[in-house]
Amino acid sequence: MKPIDASAPSHSATTTEKEERIKHLPADARAAFHRFQHDRNPATLDPVIFAILQDFIPHEPARPFTEMPGTTQLIEELGFDSLAITEVVFFTEDLFGINITNDEIMQVRTLDDLRNFIHRKVAPPPPR
Amino acid sequence: MPSLPVITGLGFVTSIGHDRTTVLRHLRELRHGFESVEFFGNPNLAVKIAGTVKGFFFPTTNWRDWRWPEQFSVDRELIRGLAPHGVYAICAMQQALAEAGLDRNQLRDGSTGLFCASAGSPFMLGSFLDQMNQTRGERGNPMGIVTSIAGTLNFNLAAHYGITGAVCGFVSACSSSSHALGYAMDEIRLGRQQRMLVVGAEDITDVSVLSFSSLRALSNNPDPATASRPFDRRRDGFVGTGGAVALILEDAALARSRGARIQAELIGWGQAGDGHSVAASHPQGAGLREAMRRTLADARVSAGDIAYVNAHATSTPAGDRSEALALKAIFTDQGAHPRISSTKALTGHGLSLAGAMEAAFCTLAISEGFIPGAAHLEEPDPICAGLDLPRTSLDEAPRLVLNNSSGFGGSNVCHVLRRPT
Repeated sequence: MKPIDASAPSHSATTTEKEERIKHLPADARAAFHRFQHDRNPATLDPVIFAILQDFIPHEPARPFTEMPGTTQLIEELGFDSLAITEVVFFTEDLFGINITNDEIMQVRTLDDLRNFIHRKVAPPPPR
Repeated sequence: MPSLPVITGLGFVTSIGHDRTTVLRHLRELRHGFESVEFFGNPNLAVKIAGTVKGFFFPTTNWRDWRWPEQFSVDRELIRGLAPHGVYAICAMQQALAEAGLDRNQLRDGSTGLFCASAGSPFMLGSFLDQMNQTRGERGNPMGIVTSIAGTLNFNLAAHYGITGAVCGFVSACSSSSHALGYAMDEIRLGRQQRMLVVGAEDITDVSVLSFSSLRALSNNPDPATASRPFDRRRDGFVGTGGAVALILEDAALARSRGARIQAELIGWGQAGDGHSVAASHPQGAGLREAMRRTLADARVSAGDIAYVNAHATSTPAGDRSEALALKAIFTDQGAHPRISSTKALTGHGLSLAGAMEAAFCTLAISEGFIPGAAHLEEPDPICAGLDLPRTSLDEAPRLVLNNSSGFGGSNVCHVLRRPT
């Protein structure tokens, strides 16, 4: 520990680190992530988000996320616990180079909440 | 009359097998579990042998890369919090519960406790701390702490099995799981718990084993057939191993009432410190001698009653010498001549795992009616004169068995096991 240095830059994962992180995701999710890196279109992100959820969910879900309504609740219905959600958050932060606060995490309760939240974070709407 | 703790289930993930039958065959036939290995991918290292845990693979710290034998299942919810030795422990627990005829729902009512022993996982901890250092504290695996620190076993197993009785981890290096077993006996003897799960486990990785090379404690002998030779004149250090062993202890009355097979009774234990050195054993084995004396007194038996001693002897020059002197003081000098062997000649030294693993071997000796021989012993150290070190396993059914363990800081723990009457 040492006194505060406000000029120090924040950590962001390198391209190699990102590739290492997504190597366990299915091929379609990896391809979607590569497309997003190229065109920054949030509409391409859903396969990535669902693959991340699939990777960290404590219990295998009964059906694919793509077949679930957007109102499906992460904790009550899908069995996520706080640790698994924290793992999803850390993974997502690293992959997309974003920062998610604890208050923001508390607002995310459903699949749609998570999708919309990540869409906003990675491609914020232009300022009016 | 105090409750009598008995053993009703054993589970093994060891260098000499992952089931009772295979372990038993290795002990009877004195077949070791060593392989030639290259630590850190570095051919220049002098240490060439390890007691490998076959069929398990942990190539990275990411559980998605891990593999284990297909007869075991590890839940997805559980594995994210585990170190490699936690995976071993789950596989050992599955066997022990099956052998004891118990299912998970019978462990949740508060009458079952869980005592564990491991040194934590330097493999997982190193990765976790590397990430924190590289990101200057901005990133860290949320499961980093619970997968890595000493206590990871009890954190995970208590949650997984829903244990609401006593839960604790023990850290006394190579006597850790012997402490866990001794205090588990007390929980039953004092009537605090009716059943105790005791688990000892250790990783076997480059960092977990080679750390002991810094102490010059490892054998540099490249021959798997002779690298671990406790009490031999040419011994030059221990061979590292890992794995997990689980024991189910129950109040004898409970075991009988539910028709469980009692494999051995645990009738006494004791401990004593050397008060001497942080790492080296007392040169005359003073602490171990006193621990054996206290254990025999606790069990209300005399030295002459003991048929077999499973020695701690790890194959280090100084440690084996200390234990030989302690054994002579307790037994030979009293005219007692139990059979003595160290099964580390076959398994290697399992560190925190050792005491539980060897207590389980003693249980096998009692329940299957044999005495494991002193494997790899060709030229007994002259200091061992007067000790009965059989070169082969014997078809003798021991009634009373003493199990010795010693750890850093001169921590010595022993147990007496008895054939059920």
